[in-house]
Parts: sequence; structure tokens; C-alpha cells
Amino acid sequence: MFPFKWLVSAIMVGFHDGLSTIGLPAANGWTWTLSIIGLVLVIRAALIPVFVKQIKAQRGMQLLQPDLKKMQDKYKGKTDQLSRQAMAQEQMALYKKHGTNPFSACLPMLIQMPFFFALFQVLSGISTAKAGGQGIGAMSLEQVKQFDESSIFGAPLSASLLHGSTAGGEVAVWILSIVMILAMTASQFITQKQIMAKNMSEEAMASPFMKQQKMMLYILPIVFGVGGINFPIGVLIYWTTTNLWTMAQQFFVIRRMPTPGSPAAKALAERRAAKGLPALPLLGAKKADAEAAASASASAAAAVEARSQRVQPQRKNRKRK
Amino acid sequence: MRNPAAAVVPHVKPAALVSALCWLGTALWQLPRNILIVLLMAYRKVISPLYGQVCRFFPSCSAYALEAITVHGAVKGSWLAARRLSRCHPWNAGGVDHVPAGHREWPEDRTPTIVVMNNPDKYLAAQSDGEGRFAA
Repeated sequence: MFPFKWLVSAIMVGFHDGLSTIGLPAANGWTWTLSIIGLVLVIRAALIPVFVKQIKAQRGMQLLQPDLKKMQDKYKGKTDQLSRQAMAQEQMALYKKHGTNPFSACLPMLIQMPFFFALFQVLSGISTAKAGGQGIGAMSLEQVKQFDESSIFGAPLSASLLHGSTAGGEVAVWILSIVMILAMTASQFITQKQIMAKNMSEEAMASPFMKQQKMMLYILPIVFGVGGINFPIGVLIYWTTTNLWTMAQQFFVIRRMPTPGSPAAKALAERRAAKGLPALPLLGAKKADAEAAASASASAAAAVEARSQRVQPQRKNRKRK
Repeated sequence: MRNPAAAVVPHVKPAALVSALCWLGTALWQLPRNILIVLLMAYRKVISPLYGQVCRFFPSCSAYALEAITVHGAVKGSWLAARRLSRCHPWNAGGVDHVPAGHREWPEDRTPTIVVMNNPDKYLAAQSDGEGRFAA
């Protein structure tokens, strides 16, 4: 955990130093709050390339649509689990063959975990470190003291609802924690709801995971709400900010680069049509157009072939399938 | 007919004792593996559906881990699973990536579900063969 703790505290201290030099009061809780928000911005901005890559891959999917359709026809009506698995395997092989993959891997989600735990350890360890007279990670003893004494709305940043604080302000901690927990769970709920209502393709909607996912939509806010009583205010700030970032990013993606075949993609196509703009060629919403274009090019290719070589006549019962 | 009281007397036949000890030893030896299997199954049931499908591979990382631990045991299985996780990132093309074959053998109709589900081509062929024979 040490390298992450060091990195997290170093980024925070960096922002704090920067904000102090431009004139914000160094010992103020708001300066530290902005430093935590700065930490979120750095981590999330570093993850943007991953999201861009994923969205590009989703658009690239249109190119392998004919192969995909052929494969789906092959498994049509086979609903037993083993056949579904065989289809999933074939689909993955197909993605690999075309060098594209709509799935982002679990790394973008997992990579935030150590940073979150490191921040949790740093913030909840502030009081102990101060009592023990030592710094944490890249934070010096002086900064630890300063952080421990800083507060927003009278609530110390290192205090949590369950453990209170050494510096007083119990009521402020209570109110602020509850407001932050509500903001945190609400933003998460809205984001998840938006994705499920607007940005899922029809295939994903029909998948057997959907029911469990719907259940989780309601269970997860409860889990985080209960977990939140143990989080220091600083961690709640981090979590709420990162959720707000996800929400904004998701709104942008749903509006501008929706998943092909999802309701959001249809809405985008309609908006573009209303403005008299051509449909985005690689977006799945205009599937019929893409198919028409594909069949047109296929017939053109057939015409070229017909010119170069006569098709051999064949007896009907010898025709290959 | 045996006297029911005899079962209560702590005089156990040595063969029964040996087999009981053997069973206990196996259970203990398999304990880490089985704990991991239960944890992975719980993860796949509860947490995994949250994210929908994100994995770039077939089988998915958790299915791979479950099979690896079922087939290779706790130590080697965990090692294989960790290596797979490190391969699963946005700059890897993904694709089909099966667990290497292990030494464990199962009776024909008692192959663990995860092994069957992760190797659909193999078991689907076996299944349709069986059906074919039955029809004939």
C-alpha cells in the first residue's frame, strides 16, 4: 500500500502547495478540500484514454456486423446455456480476429481501488499520525497537523460519522456526512439508471444478467450508504467528486457517442436527422442504412465478378449451402 | 442384526478409522481450494452482474479463476488467475484464452459445471454425439 499512499498524499500536497501559492489560506479546510478534488481530477483524467479507446472500439463494431450476424444466425433458437457459451466464445474469437473489442476489461475499475484505499488510510490515519508525531506518505508532520485541524462548515476533514472527531464539531460532522452520503449514493444511482435506461444495446438488455443488474441498482446505494458512516469526510469528498465525474462523463457519452443499438443511439440519429445532418456512418443506429450499403457494395462486387467470369451452371441438388 | 448400542461404544474398527482420517485429511487439504471456490461463486453471483460484461476474454476472468482453482487447486489456480488478470487490460486484444489442462479427473457425468461451461466446443460436441447415438 505504501507507494499508493505516497502517491496519493504527494498529489494532494502538490495541489495544496499550488493553491497556497496563488493566495488561498494554507490552513483552511477548503484549500484541502480543493486538493482532494484535484486528486480526483488527476486520477480520472488519467483514465480518459481508456474510455476513448473503449468508445472507439464500440464504433468499430459496425465493421464486423455482417460476420456477427452470420454467427447469430448460426445459434438462432439455441437457448441452452452451453450453446450460449459456445456463441460467446466464437464472438470473442471474432473480435480478436478483427482486432477490436467492445469490452474495456476490469482494469479501469480495479485501478481506482488502491488509490481509494490509500486515501482512506491516509485520511483516517491523520489523527494517529499527529498523536505519534510523524508524517504520512509525502505529508510532513506540519501538514498532518494542519490537515487535522482544518475543517469545512465546522466539520474536521478527518472525522467520520461513526468515529466522531478529536477536534469537536460533532453535529457538523453528522450533518455533513449524511448530506455527502446522500449525494454520493444519488449520483451513483442516477448514473447507473441512465446507463440502463438509455445506453444499453438490445442484446445486452435481453441478457440474463439484466435482472441481477436491476436488483443491484437498488442494493448498491444501501451498501454504500451504510459503508459511508465509516468514511472520513475527506473520503466522502473524494467519492462524491469521482461519482459526479462519472455522471458527467456518462451524460456526455450518452448524448454524443452512445452504444450502437441503444435507445440513446436512436435518439442521436433522430436529432441529427431533424437538423438535416447525415447519419454518423459508423454508428449502429442506422443499421438498415449500413446493411443497404453493404448489400449494394456486395451486388456491385458480384457485377464485377460476373463481367470477369461466367458463373458455372449447377444442378440444384449439388448446390453447396 | 447388530446391536444398536454397539455403534455408541467408542470401539471403532481400524479400517473405518483410517478411512475417516483419510476423508478428514482430504477435506482439510482441499479446504483452501473449496473456500476460494465458494468466494468466487459468490462474487460471480452477486458482484459481477453489477458491471455487466467487461472482460475482453472468453472465459471471463472470474470464470477462468473458478475453473483454474477447481482444476489446479488453490496455489497453482490462484497463480494462473493472477496471471490472467494481469493480461486483462485495454491494450490487450482479448479473445479466447482457456485454462491449461490439469491432472484432476472426474467421472463422465460429474464434470464440474464451470469446466463444461468454459469449454463449450468440447462438451457441445460430446453432447451432440450422445444425442446422435441415442437417435440412431
